[in-house]
Amino acid sequence: MGVLPAFRLHRPTTLAQALELVNDDRMPYAGGTELLLAMKEGLLRPTHLVDLKGIGSLRDVRESGSGVSIGALVTHTQAADHPIVVDRLAGLAAVLNRVGNPRVRATGTLAGNLCFAEPRSDVAAALIALGGEVEIASAEGRRAMAVEDFVIGPYTTALEQGELVTGILVPVQPDLRFAYLKHQTTERPTLGVAAAANSHCSLVVGAVGFAPQVFRSPSPSDLDPSAIADRVEVVPDLTGSEEYKRHLVEVYVRRAVAALGGRR
Amino acid sequence: MIGLDTVEIAPRINGRETVLEVPVRMTLAEMLRDRLGLYGVKVSCEMQVCGVCTVLVDGQPVSSCTFLAADTDGRRVLTVEGLAEGDRLHPIQQAFVDRFALQCGFCTPGFIMMTKHLLERSPLPDREEIVEHFDGNLCRCTGYAPIIEAVQDAAGRLGRRGS
Repeated sequence: MGVLPAFRLHRPTTLAQALELVNDDRMPYAGGTELLLAMKEGLLRPTHLVDLKGIGSLRDVRESGSGVSIGALVTHTQAADHPIVVDRLAGLAAVLNRVGNPRVRATGTLAGNLCFAEPRSDVAAALIALGGEVEIASAEGRRAMAVEDFVIGPYTTALEQGELVTGILVPVQPDLRFAYLKHQTTERPTLGVAAAANSHCSLVVGAVGFAPQVFRSPSPSDLDPSAIADRVEVVPDLTGSEEYKRHLVEVYVRRAVAALGGRR
Repeated sequence: MIGLDTVEIAPRINGRETVLEVPVRMTLAEMLRDRLGLYGVKVSCEMQVCGVCTVLVDGQPVSSCTFLAADTDGRRVLTVEGLAEGDRLHPIQQAFVDRFALQCGFCTPGFIMMTKHLLERSPLPDREEIVEHFDGNLCRCTGYAPIIEAVQDAAGRLGRRGS
């Protein structure tokens, strides 16, 4: 059995305590579905883990202004089952119910999913299309940032030293049409296409490149699947060649456009 | 702020209150197997992909290979050893036997614990729901068909038992 490298565990019970503790070597820890794997593989070797699970204020799902705020400790399963999410963000709930497998969903948090910035994250692609924001706290105060700006590359976010993600804010737009289509043959998707439209349209191509790629247009019908398939950055790997993945992108973008009522 | 190296935890394991001191780096699978001799918990991929190490924590399925034992303090942990009542197999276990839903048996505890979770959430799942629930469980012997039949069979047995 692979053994986790040695570390020391901190258990703050308030956000202020946690903010005093975290730095590059003291990593925030919640579900651990990505972090503990990376530690077992030797890819990450923090000497301290700061367990955020004792901070009750990060567990809430609540309506916040015109959106829904999902606390940093909320797991994929908890969010997908939460009445507010089911009622106001049914499209997101459907995405969450298909992330990874039931064990990953029951343990892993949405915030952790974004912070790990795995290029094939379903959640990142969906939240970008939905216009989601990341709520961030530091000793200096609080700020919010679009998920699109937060996820800047593979396993890389715009989070700065001393900052913690406290939650995710997803706007609720009753007239929004949303679709998420993915192609998946292993534990992570080969391609995920998220699309949302009301008075304007956002389409996000996830999983095939180093980070989710966003395309905007006035309406779904203005999106050109073939042009998008030519333009996206594609990383070939064991799940497919560049040519194959570009083909998939074209097919799935066309399907997403159709799902939103576009004509192509 | 030097942090903890070991923690004392008090999980309820298969219905029994247990107090242990564990290193913080110890996984739940290591604790269950090496400290408590619960060898029904298997370990294979160690990447949350294969499902053989599945146990339930407060009713939720977790991959015990990458779950800290420290995080089970005050929580209910259920392994395959906690299902049977004496010599009487749990209806899910009996359904797996009757439907030949195993051959080598290595993946079976994981499938059984995942089935327990599924049937608690959805007492009469259709085929599609069962297949999707097992997205993260691999079996290299059966071809899955007998496992799906066993889950449907178990759903019937538990339904009759409950009514």
